[in-house]
Amino acid sequence: MINSIILSYTTFIYFAAFFLYLLCMVMGRTGFGRLATLATLVGLIAQSLAIVLRWIESYQLGIGHAPFSNLYESLIFFTWTIIFLYMIVEWRTKNRTLGTFVTPLAFLAMAYASFSPGISSKIQPLVPALKSNWLISHVITCFFGYAAFGLSFALSIMYLLKQRDTPEKKNLFLRLIPEQSILDELNYQMIVIGFLMLTLGIITGSVWAHSAWGSYWSWDPKETWSLITWLIYASMIHSRMVRGWKGRKIAYLSFIGFCCVLFTYFGVNYLAGLHSYAK
Amino acid sequence: MKRQFSKSRPVIWAFFSSVKLTVALLIILAMASVVGTLIPQTEGVAEFAKGLSPAVRKLFVFFDLFDVYHSLWFRILMGALTLNIVICSLDRFQGTWKRFTARPRPDREKPFQDIPGEQTFVIDSPPADMAERVHDYLAAKYRKMRAKEVGTEGYFYAERGGYSLFGVYLVHMSVLCILVGGLVGSFLGFEAYVNIVEGESVNTVVSRKERSPIELGFEVRCDNFTVDFYENGTPKEYRTEVTFSADGKRMKQEAIRVNHPAVFQGVTFYQSNYGTVPGNTVHLSISSQGGGPGARHMKVEPGKPYSLPGGEGTFSITDLRTNIMDIGPAAMVSVKPEHGQGIRFWVFKYQDRAKKILPGPMLNSPKFNASAFEPYTFTLAGLDTRYYTGLQANKDPGVPVVWIGFFLMVAGLFVTFFISHRRIWVKVSQQAQGLVVSVAGTSNKNPVGLQREVNTLTLSLKNLLQGDRQV
Repeated sequence: MINSIILSYTTFIYFAAFFLYLLCMVMGRTGFGRLATLATLVGLIAQSLAIVLRWIESYQLGIGHAPFSNLYESLIFFTWTIIFLYMIVEWRTKNRTLGTFVTPLAFLAMAYASFSPGISSKIQPLVPALKSNWLISHVITCFFGYAAFGLSFALSIMYLLKQRDTPEKKNLFLRLIPEQSILDELNYQMIVIGFLMLTLGIITGSVWAHSAWGSYWSWDPKETWSLITWLIYASMIHSRMVRGWKGRKIAYLSFIGFCCVLFTYFGVNYLAGLHSYAK
Repeated sequence: MKRQFSKSRPVIWAFFSSVKLTVALLIILAMASVVGTLIPQTEGVAEFAKGLSPAVRKLFVFFDLFDVYHSLWFRILMGALTLNIVICSLDRFQGTWKRFTARPRPDREKPFQDIPGEQTFVIDSPPADMAERVHDYLAAKYRKMRAKEVGTEGYFYAERGGYSLFGVYLVHMSVLCILVGGLVGSFLGFEAYVNIVEGESVNTVVSRKERSPIELGFEVRCDNFTVDFYENGTPKEYRTEVTFSADGKRMKQEAIRVNHPAVFQGVTFYQSNYGTVPGNTVHLSISSQGGGPGARHMKVEPGKPYSLPGGEGTFSITDLRTNIMDIGPAAMVSVKPEHGQGIRFWVFKYQDRAKKILPGPMLNSPKFNASAFEPYTFTLAGLDTRYYTGLQANKDPGVPVVWIGFFLMVAGLFVTFFISHRRIWVKVSQQAQGLVVSVAGTSNKNPVGLQREVNTLTLSLKNLLQGDRQV
């Protein structure tokens, strides 16, 4: 179970990365920022390695399947997508401030997966319903959607914090956060990517459900909550594209949207339904 | 009448063409869906309803809160959204079409106002075929392009991605497609199930909604059912081998597994559950107290009479269960003595478990006393069982329409979000310091991408026109 050991170390690496990103913003030294990026990158590589090892290990156990089959594995993959997406954004925008707000999400998800007593890190065999080629495409699209919405949530927090920044205030932390217009644009881009991915996730899930359960839509709680999330983000995109909503309104809506995402991901486990293997 | 109609139309039209309505409907639908996930739907309704006061229960029933997604008001909301989508699209299509077909004059000055300095450059000794080069370069890069010469000045206009203006309509059409597919399925299709015992055939299935039989028009035979387990005891695979036959002819043999349904004449069969039914052999042992004929093991066929060991009469098995009240297999033995009253009682395979589970008064009644007919004590040694497979049988002619909708939605979203309508203007004018070239552009989205494109274009044109370098 070398993979679980690497993964629990990754939890600490992401925490270190968060600490370094924070230090970089508080002290204003790029040196810490570079270290933070390095730590995140090391974490991402280690995590990718662990996921691949876990995949190989499952084949050695004779129950080979992609490591996307239970809550532990999904949390690991969720963290991976969020860090992967963040690294792309950091590389494209050449700005590290978002890291301070994203790495805690990754750290929390990893800590929950590694240390929660209710979550088993054992590799379990696939139940018949999950034995499908749709598993990989469904999980990847859904989690990229979740991750993009997670980034949008972090950007919204930054947007609302930046509001408190005024030229006469000498707050380094706030001053380092990019301009509100940039945050708003990036936030919208994340929402768009998340929406497209969520759409793909619902569609792949729907096509899969058609061959596994006999119906492409059966109002199972997880299906319904993903639709609720989709509807919330759809209304957000409409209010922006047609009615020109920007800034604070979008930031607040993104909060609501991400709450729906979290409920779709975790909350639904408390309601009975067909997705019960995700518990 | 006519006047009233024409008067009222704009009001309704304005109402349904508003995006405010769209946003409101999307949020209301989201909230209604939330309600549906918090209140039990179809399953568990009875228990939940018990805990409600009669008045509240009445209210719940009135508003269909136990079946939100199929209620009239939910459908009205969906209908309103559909109308909203259709009218919004019709309302805006003309404008989009105008923008798509618009051919702006190449010699417009407005795009060049306020362009940053780096979008203009000067060439000292321009090549003679300068205009041709620019023309060819732009024509190769952009599908639509126009050029115009005004005196010594040359103007070029090029655009791309105009079709992205229709992405939104594609997305909206896809939503309609999915809704229509759903409607087609609910009117022309059915959702049913059927249990088939190994070796038996059926030609009807039971509708889930109306609980009534549906004629298939063909026969399904369950040839074999198997269930495999992993080492840790969790199920690995369920597999049903079926034969479809029509008009007495065998047409198709297939194995149904979870995620691998079988289709025959438009009906799709899914592996859904399984169970066991009693087979044709019951293993009974009969012992007798106090000097009877002794213990005896018998293989018994249900329903057939057998004589008792001492010849006092006959007995038969009149009921068989593979699992009754979680006690395990049970058989009902009916004894018919030659003289006197007949008697019936249950015999369990696991008597000890029965004693733990069944309440005292029940155990004391002769109905559960395996020694009720003296001097014999009946014991159920075993029961042959047969598997039955539980298949979900669905017919949904709307599915292809829904799939088309899915495809259109992804294509539409992609075009809407990631492809922008970009317009580029290039002005070339002969001035005192040489040939002055300016590049300007507009885009309906993604300003960063546009800036990148304009910058590359400026650089390429500069390279193209500098010196006599051949391209």
